[in-house]
Amino acid sequence: MRWTPCGPHAALIELAETDDAATRARSRAILRFLERERVRAIVDFSAAFDKVLLEFRTGEDVAALASQWMRKFSALKPVDAAASALHEIPVVYDGEDIAELAERHGLGVGEVISRHSAPIYEVVLLGFSPGFPYLAGLDPKLCTPRRASPRPRVPAGSVAIGGSHTGIYSIESPGGWHLLGTTPVRIFDPARREPDDEAMFLLRAGDRVKFVPAE
Amino acid sequence: MEVLEIVKTGLGASVQDLGRIGWKRFGVPPSGVMDPHAAAWANRLVGNSDGAPLLELLLQGAKFRVLTERRFAVAGAEAGARISAWHARSIARGEVLEFPRNQKGLWTYVAVHGGFEAGEVLGSSSAYPRGGIGRMLQPGDRLSAGSASDVLHVGESWTAWSEQRDYDAPPLSRVWRGPQWELFDPAEQRCFLDAEWEVSSRSDRVGYRLEGARLNAPAGEMRSEPVVVGSIQVPPNGQPIVTMRDGPTVGGYPKIGIVDPESLSWLAQCRPGVRFRWAPAE
Repeated sequence: MRWTPCGPHAALIELAETDDAATRARSRAILRFLERERVRAIVDFSAAFDKVLLEFRTGEDVAALASQWMRKFSALKPVDAAASALHEIPVVYDGEDIAELAERHGLGVGEVISRHSAPIYEVVLLGFSPGFPYLAGLDPKLCTPRRASPRPRVPAGSVAIGGSHTGIYSIESPGGWHLLGTTPVRIFDPARREPDDEAMFLLRAGDRVKFVPAE
Repeated sequence: MEVLEIVKTGLGASVQDLGRIGWKRFGVPPSGVMDPHAAAWANRLVGNSDGAPLLELLLQGAKFRVLTERRFAVAGAEAGARISAWHARSIARGEVLEFPRNQKGLWTYVAVHGGFEAGEVLGSSSAYPRGGIGRMLQPGDRLSAGSASDVLHVGESWTAWSEQRDYDAPPLSRVWRGPQWELFDPAEQRCFLDAEWEVSSRSDRVGYRLEGARLNAPAGEMRSEPVVVGSIQVPPNGQPIVTMRDGPTVGGYPKIGIVDPESLSWLAQCRPGVRFRWAPAE
């Protein structure tokens, strides 16, 4: 584990050289720990793949805190994917790009659907827009570089493939991923505020997702 | 109590505060005022705390009608209103507050005594329409303010000269080495630090594109990583982009530098054509 400063108030911690299941288990342990502890000196934290960002209160000694927290993180027991929440998300596979994507990879549409709905994916980060999950675990046969020209509007709930990840558009936004289908599940809903504001987000980084084909 | 009606929004008006901090792991950027220095002074001039919700206006064209006599302040970019920038005074019911001509800077702040009341989402009143949180103001919107204190302010008040800013003459912009600084060739590092830069017109609350030199980004792809506001990413086309307050929470381009938060409030106000240089913060 090592860290690099990110401006005067933040530290970017690199957990490992590689992004694999073991690294993600450590990242998950750190996120769950920080969510539980609510450390006063840390005003915000986030994770993506093999990195964790800690943003400290103005005036804190970043170098001292970064070393201190890295020691604490090293002592945490990794949290395996199997121990995290599993969300089953229904998908109607009627996306605009599914036929083209199938043809591109020499597969039938039915095969694209079965290959996409077979894995249990891991949420490696939420980003791009609020609650948008980058899901790892995509069948290598389905990996597809992003579209050359992004669409100006992709509807919320679109299930799509971008590079080696699949994901779900959380709000209507521009987007360059290939659209496979749609889910009626609202993965981000600003009106969902019970029991607290965190309820707006269906998924947390580190959770698992399984897509279930629906009519 | 309703204090202000939006007649025209101009090029864009929204309610902002110091932003929603603590939600980055859900993909929610901080949002909040682009120029915290000016916004804090607008609030102070009407007796609010620095972080009270206020209006952020882009350039020019906004027009408001005052519904209840209150003390208002304007700070940041000068846009020709009857309250000049960095000043506060009471405005009577029925009077119109108009921002016809932008003269310097990009963002003008309008504060009202008691603070504008806007619903909070994730602990902040800041609008972030791109992310489905809040919306831009529209003509016909009527805004309320918190209750007025009993203390009666009279006359005009203003910000000390030393705190007023001339956005056409920004000081050196302090920059920290970014996480991928070492990956850039020394010639590229020098080019970045030596060039004179300006903000492109293709810039917004998400990101400011910089023009001045083309940098050769290091070869190879990197995994996306969490980013802080002020990160200077260099995409393959070599034109740096500064992550601003509505910018993405993760980024996959190498970051050559990170703008110091103090300098970022200056940079936020740099219009296209205003030149600035970097000074290493280390």
